[in-house]
Amino acid sequence: MKILFLILLLPTFANAMRADLTGNVEAQTRESMNNEQAKEDLFQDWNKEKFHLVYGNLDGKVEFDNNSFIDTNWFVRYTNSELYRNGYVAPQIMTFPRKLVARDVFQLQHKSQTDHDKTESVLNKFFYEWDNDEQTIIVGRFYINYGQGEIFNPINPFNQPTGLTSIQQVAQGNDGGEVRFYMNDHHILEFYLLGDKGIENYDGKIDRTVWVHGEYQANDQLQLDYVGGEDQNRDKIGGQISYRLSEALVFAQTLYQTKFVNDDPSHDLWDVLLGFDQQFTNKWHFRFEGGHQKKNRFEDFTTFNFGDRFLPSEYFAAIANTYEVHPLVKVSATLINDIKTGFNYGIAKATFDLGHSLEAELFGFSPVGKGSSTDNPAQKLVTTDLGGALRAFF
Amino acid sequence: MFKKFKAKDFVFCVALGAKVSNPDEWLNYADDQMRGDRSHGEMTMTIETPNWTRTLEIESDVEGKSQAITTINSPAKEKGIRTLRIDNNMWNYFPKLKRKVAVSSSMLLASWMGSDFTNDDVLKASSMSQDYHHKFLPDAKVNGVVYKVIENTAKSNTKVMWPKVVTYSSKSDCLPRQNDYYDKQGKIKRTMTFSEIKKLDGHLVPALWVMKPADDPDKKTIIKYQNIIFKTKFKSNHFSQQSLTAN
Repeated sequence: MKILFLILLLPTFANAMRADLTGNVEAQTRESMNNEQAKEDLFQDWNKEKFHLVYGNLDGKVEFDNNSFIDTNWFVRYTNSELYRNGYVAPQIMTFPRKLVARDVFQLQHKSQTDHDKTESVLNKFFYEWDNDEQTIIVGRFYINYGQGEIFNPINPFNQPTGLTSIQQVAQGNDGGEVRFYMNDHHILEFYLLGDKGIENYDGKIDRTVWVHGEYQANDQLQLDYVGGEDQNRDKIGGQISYRLSEALVFAQTLYQTKFVNDDPSHDLWDVLLGFDQQFTNKWHFRFEGGHQKKNRFEDFTTFNFGDRFLPSEYFAAIANTYEVHPLVKVSATLINDIKTGFNYGIAKATFDLGHSLEAELFGFSPVGKGSSTDNPAQKLVTTDLGGALRAFF
Repeated sequence: MFKKFKAKDFVFCVALGAKVSNPDEWLNYADDQMRGDRSHGEMTMTIETPNWTRTLEIESDVEGKSQAITTINSPAKEKGIRTLRIDNNMWNYFPKLKRKVAVSSSMLLASWMGSDFTNDDVLKASSMSQDYHHKFLPDAKVNGVVYKVIENTAKSNTKVMWPKVVTYSSKSDCLPRQNDYYDKQGKIKRTMTFSEIKKLDGHLVPALWVMKPADDPDKKTIIKYQNIIFKTKFKSNHFSQQSLTAN
């Protein structure tokens, strides 16, 4: 009887629902080289090592009606390299971002590692969204994406900026709920309640995140964002000002973080970002980002530990240029300078649209200058990587 | 392409059924036919060169002269990307990453989805009547057909990409057949042609739009309307950031 009932109901649901599957698959290979410092400091010789990476996204969406849907993304990443032997630290930067879920309660992932490969399978998006005329409610694991920064974006601690990564169509998931209010045509207010158990220390304790993000469009030129709340045991408050000049966009961010609200040893932190973005011609796009992030004295910089914070440890300046050589070929070059340590990191990419939803990319990541300062020894261990990728979208 | 024809004090547009001495009236009629008060259109945009071709399938909702939202349905890489325009503000939304990007004035020069259309075209598409002065030029004749020529020059207090646009319109239906876009030096930088005039949902519409950049004559972007509905209604918040980021 139950089966008959379900069979009768099925066409009704099928009519009401609309499902969609999209995604991409990418294969990368890269050669890692030129790291004498690692040999001396860590006794890890990875000069001229090969590194292979394959990853894929499967994005699924089921729409129930015009107002509600479930959206999912399944991300699988397989990496293969002799660099995994003896706990070499080089793969950490090659698989950036390492954490695919920023605030993790439900886990929903599988990882396995041997001395020559690593497999990660993560459901990094799985949420239900309901929209009505004035509110949106989201529950589950979802992306939180706001802020103008592409290399450093301190007002959004829930999503790593993608300026340093070679993978695409991926953002970090966050577990919890969001309620978004459309106050009027100029003001959007978002409340988040998230939890985090941490991927590495999955011991059952949930750290709470209570967060507010507001977006206020003051006029055609000026937009103000404000953020605040408790996140990862710190109280945080900050904001962003973006101003559209006649030919460019300028923006500034700041985020202040108190000491840990529990008794763990810590000190306060603050970040500042200044940015400038201009499309000089219809082919040439230019961006500058510079700023400061207060060094966390309690973070271990003696090894290859990037944590959630960006590679330059204190003062940095970055320029990013993208040029369309041909409608099917884009080249980009990014140079990041850690002003205090003298460390320079360059990223160059050439992307070729091959048609039929295929894309090829050649890339290079290189510490073009490792500086003389000893403030951040980990920077001296960064490798030079040259590689290529082939990606398909479906 | 076009030869100058003898100028007249007035022109006759069959579609308008009257003598027209004011180019504004002519352009407003054409605008009303092609845009209506509101519309929902389905189209393909094909970027074509001698070596490759790329086609996007697009849906576009337009209301009045200042609100529009477009959604890309294909190819897979761009599927779901939306562009919202409200007055002078424009946003792109990338649903796979849930990322909303305000298109700043600095980005107006950038190509829209790799085509020969810029963000400025999408943002300012309807501002010809507001941002330009209009005057009739001598008629032009091509292949035995006489076209009405309207010169649109940018008003001094407006910021537009093209200081001058010259429109060649049919005298039978008053719809444009060609727009020439001039730079500050007075050179034609690109040309858009309109053809395949069809009656869709009670409106006369050119179903085929072709944009050709002057500095790359082998390249062009073709917009082909598959369908357009003018007798449509949208929800009160259809053209909003909520609608942009919602389902």
